[in-house]
Amino acid sequence: MAIQKQYYRRKKVCKFCVERIDNINYKDVKLLSQFVPERSKIMPRRISGVCTPHQRLLSDAIKKARNIALLPFATE
Amino acid sequence: MRNYEIMFIVSPNAVEEDIDKINGQIEGVITAGGGKAEKVEKLGKRRLAYLVNKFREGSYVLFTIQADGAIVREVERRLRVMDLVIKYLTVRMDDDMKRLDKIKAHRQKRAARRGRAHAEGAERRGPSPVEQMPEE
Repeated sequence: MAIQKQYYRRKKVCKFCVERIDNINYKDVKLLSQFVPERSKIMPRRISGVCTPHQRLLSDAIKKARNIALLPFATE
Repeated sequence: MRNYEIMFIVSPNAVEEDIDKINGQIEGVITAGGGKAEKVEKLGKRRLAYLVNKFREGSYVLFTIQADGAIVREVERRLRVMDLVIKYLTVRMDDDMKRLDKIKAHRQKRAARRGRAHAEGAERRGPSPVEQMPEE
């Protein structure tokens, strides 16, 4: 018999799919900063639950924002 | 012709007139090359996420333009030469816009189809089976 999972883990959903955000823009610091934790690394999909196509757009946008000093590369 | 966004940061020491002068110059370069500056936005002073040329903050300016690669190259060259401009970034927007339009069209089509199916289904089905069930 399989061991029953003790905790019920909520299925993560992609924020961009659910809220129908198509436009992941590098200027939208408020949106992007939700996906960069304190160390200013890009949050992995396995933690944020973002789907692959959206994660790709998101990481592109974050990298652009870093380039123009809207987001940090690393926290000093 | 392609759509680009050119964003650059002017040093915090620059006064308003300096920024206007830079904007005028850049706009001149764009129109001289046959492009069009659709929008020029001064986004105001912002704290930078990291030190750039030992500056902690800077004034952001955003150009939304329609131009060719040659114009963009020239604009970037000018920005590089200007001492007051501490950082710039050019982003090509037309691919993104195309993608967004496609998604939007797709959404509308689906919404329209769903609306129609809903109306037809209601007619064909007649009174819902729940209503026909005999009461106990």
